[in-house]
Amino acid sequence: MKKIIAVLLSVLLLASLLAACGTSDEPAGGSSAPESAAPASEEPAAAPTELTVWHDGDETLMQAIADTVNPMLADSGVSVTFEKRTGLSDQLKLYGGDAANGPDMYLWAHDSLGTFVAMDILEPLGNLVDESVWADYLPLTVDAGQIGGTQYLLPVYFETLLFLYNRDMWQGEVPATTEELYEYMVANTDTAAGTYAVVNQHSTSYNVSPFIYGFGGYILDAEGNPGLNDPKTIEAVEYNKKFADLEADGDYNTVTTLFNEGKAAAIIGGPWLVPGIRAAGIDLGVASLSDMTLPNGSPLAPFSGVQGIGVMKAAAETNGGAIALALEALASPEVGIALAKAGGCAPANSLSYEDADVAADEIIAAIERTAETAKPMPNAAEMNVMWGPVDSMLAAVNKSGQDAASAAEEAQAAALQAIADMQ
Amino acid sequence: MLRRRAKPWLYCAPALMLILIIIVFPIAYTGYISLTNMNLYHWQDYEVIGLGNYARALFKFDSGFLSALGTTLLWTVLNMAIQLAAGFLIALGLNAPGLRLSRLYKTLLMVPWAMPAYISILLWRVGMFNTELGLLNKWISALGFEKVDFLAGNGIAFVSCMVLNLWMALPFMISTIDGALQSVDRSLYESARLDGAGFWTQTWKITIPSIRPVIAPSAVMTTFITFKQFDIIYLLTQQRGYMTGATLNTVITYVHQNAFASNNYGLSSAVSMLLFVIIIAFSFATNRSLRED
Repeated sequence: MKKIIAVLLSVLLLASLLAACGTSDEPAGGSSAPESAAPASEEPAAAPTELTVWHDGDETLMQAIADTVNPMLADSGVSVTFEKRTGLSDQLKLYGGDAANGPDMYLWAHDSLGTFVAMDILEPLGNLVDESVWADYLPLTVDAGQIGGTQYLLPVYFETLLFLYNRDMWQGEVPATTEELYEYMVANTDTAAGTYAVVNQHSTSYNVSPFIYGFGGYILDAEGNPGLNDPKTIEAVEYNKKFADLEADGDYNTVTTLFNEGKAAAIIGGPWLVPGIRAAGIDLGVASLSDMTLPNGSPLAPFSGVQGIGVMKAAAETNGGAIALALEALASPEVGIALAKAGGCAPANSLSYEDADVAADEIIAAIERTAETAKPMPNAAEMNVMWGPVDSMLAAVNKSGQDAASAAEEAQAAALQAIADMQ
Repeated sequence: MLRRRAKPWLYCAPALMLILIIIVFPIAYTGYISLTNMNLYHWQDYEVIGLGNYARALFKFDSGFLSALGTTLLWTVLNMAIQLAAGFLIALGLNAPGLRLSRLYKTLLMVPWAMPAYISILLWRVGMFNTELGLLNKWISALGFEKVDFLAGNGIAFVSCMVLNLWMALPFMISTIDGALQSVDRSLYESARLDGAGFWTQTWKITIPSIRPVIAPSAVMTTFITFKQFDIIYLLTQQRGYMTGATLNTVITYVHQNAFASNNYGLSSAVSMLLFVIIIAFSFATNRSLRED
C-alpha cells in the first residue's frame, strides 16, 4: 500500500512540475482583443481593445495620463492601461518582441531608445500616425525620440537638472556665474561640521553633464563615439573637482538627506526631488542652470531626459489602428496639462504651456527655461555601456584623487572596449 | 526485474526533473548561447557561430583578471579563517556552563542572517560607513578626528567589505558550530578533567577533533559562497550612481564589469562558461584536500 502511495505521489509531483513548464494561450500583458493590422486612417474595430503600456515610473502620473486619454478614446472602444514593471529595460529585452506576453507600448526615458531600436523591437511612429501629431512639441523632445532621423518615441514630458535652494538658508541672490557660486560655497561650507552651501551628485555622469557640455566636451557623439578623453571633457572634469570637494560624498542618499534636513542650503537635482523636499517642509526656491555661466562664458548645459512612449513592433502588426488612435490622444496638450498638475512635470507639447496653471508653475518654468541650453541624453545604443566608464572616471578623480587626464584615458579605453564588446 | 530496476528511477524522477530544470538546463542553455552571436544587434535572429566567443572571452582573463583572482583568494582565506575562529569562540562562549539567557543571545546573533542581504548592505553603506550619516563617522567626529571615507581606497574598502561579510556570515557558522558542540559527548570532558586536562587541552584534544567532521561541509559551502561573493563588493563600492572610487574587484565583479555590461549575451555566456570551469576546478581541489584530511 505504501509503495502504491509513493508511486502515485511521485507521478503527481512529476505531473505538476511538467504542468508548471507549460505555456498559456492567454496573453499575459498584451491586448485583450487582438485585431488585424489596420492603418491609422481606417475606422477602428468595433470590439473593445485594451492597450497595455509598461512603465517604471510614478503610478500617480500614469493614472493621470490614463484618466485623460481614456475618455477621449471612449467612442472608439480603445482604452489604455498602464502596468508598472520594475527593471523595465530587462523586461523589454525579454518580452519586447513577444506579441503574446509583451506590452503594446512602453513609457520610459529616451536614453535607452537606441538599445531597443538595435534590438528591432520598435515600430517607427511614422508608420502609424502623421508627423503633424508632434508638430507642436518642443524640438528638444522630438529630437530625443529619433534614431537616424526616424521618430520612434512620442515625447510625453521631460526633465532637467535645476538649482534648488532653501529660501530660509540661502543668503542673497542665486549667483550668475559658477565662480561666484564657488566663492559662496567656500565661504559657507564647513565639511567638519557637516554643513554645506551646495550639494550635488558630483561623481554621477548625469549630474556632471552641465559642466561637461557647458565646456564643450561630450560623453558620446551622434555617431556613437565616446569623448571622455576630449580636452574639453577633461577640463570640465577638473573644474567639477573643486566643487566636488565641497559637496559631501555625492551619494544620492547623502545629498538629498543633507538638503531635506536643512544641512545644505542648495542642491543640484531634478524635479523628482521636489515632493520629498516639500514633505520635509522646506521653503523651496528654484533657479535654472541655464542662468549660470562658466568661466568660458557659456551657460551650464545639463542633460535632459525625455519620457516618451514607444510602440512595440509586434503589437503594431496586430493593433496598428488602435495604437494610432491612442497615440493621437496621448499627443494632445491635455495630457501635458494633467501631468503638470499631477506631478509638476514639464510637458513636451508646447501647447500645454498655454494653460494658466502650467505657465504659473515656477519649477516647470525653470525646466522650460533650461531646455534652451539642455542637451538631450545621447540615445544611441552605445550609451547603454557609457554610464559605467564615466562614473568610474568621476569617482576616480573626485574620490580617489586620480589625475583627470589619466582617469579620462582609462575611461575612454574602457568605453571603447565596452562598445566593441557589444558587437 | 525490469520493474525492480525502474522503480528507484521513478521515485527519484521528480527530484531529478527539478535538478535538470533548475541546475542542468541553465548551464546547458548558457553553453548553447555561448556558441551564438546573440547580442543587441542579433536579438531575435541570432545563429550559431562556433567557438569565436571563447577566443574573445580568453582576452577577458587578462592581468586585471589575475589581480582580481589574487584579491578573491585573499578575500576567501581571510574571511574563512576569521569566520571559523570567531564562530568557534562565540559558539564556545554560548555553550559555557551556567551562561544565563543563552537562548536570547543565540536568537540575537541570528538577526544578521535573517535580514535580506540587499537590505543589510544598503543599511551598512548608509548607516555605518557613510561620511555624513554613518554611525562610525559620528563617533569619529565626536572624538574630534577627521571623517574617514571607509569605502574610497582599495585597502580600507577591502576591510570594510570584509567586516560586513563577517557580520552577515557569522550567524551560519556560529549556529553550525553550536550544533556540533552540542553533539560532543560530555563524559569525554569529565574523564579529561579527572586526568587533569585544562580548558585549552580539552579544546584541542576533544572539542576540535569531535566537531571537525560536522563543520567541514559547512566550511566548504561557505568557502564557495565567499569565493563567488558579488553583492557586498558591488553594492558597497561599484553600484551605478554610488561608485566610491575604490577599484576593488573579485573575479565575479571583474567579469561582470568587463563582459556583462555589454548586453552581448554570446560573449558573456562564453566568459561564464570559462568561469564555471575555473570554479569547478577549485571545487575539485577543495574536495580532494578535504578527503585527504
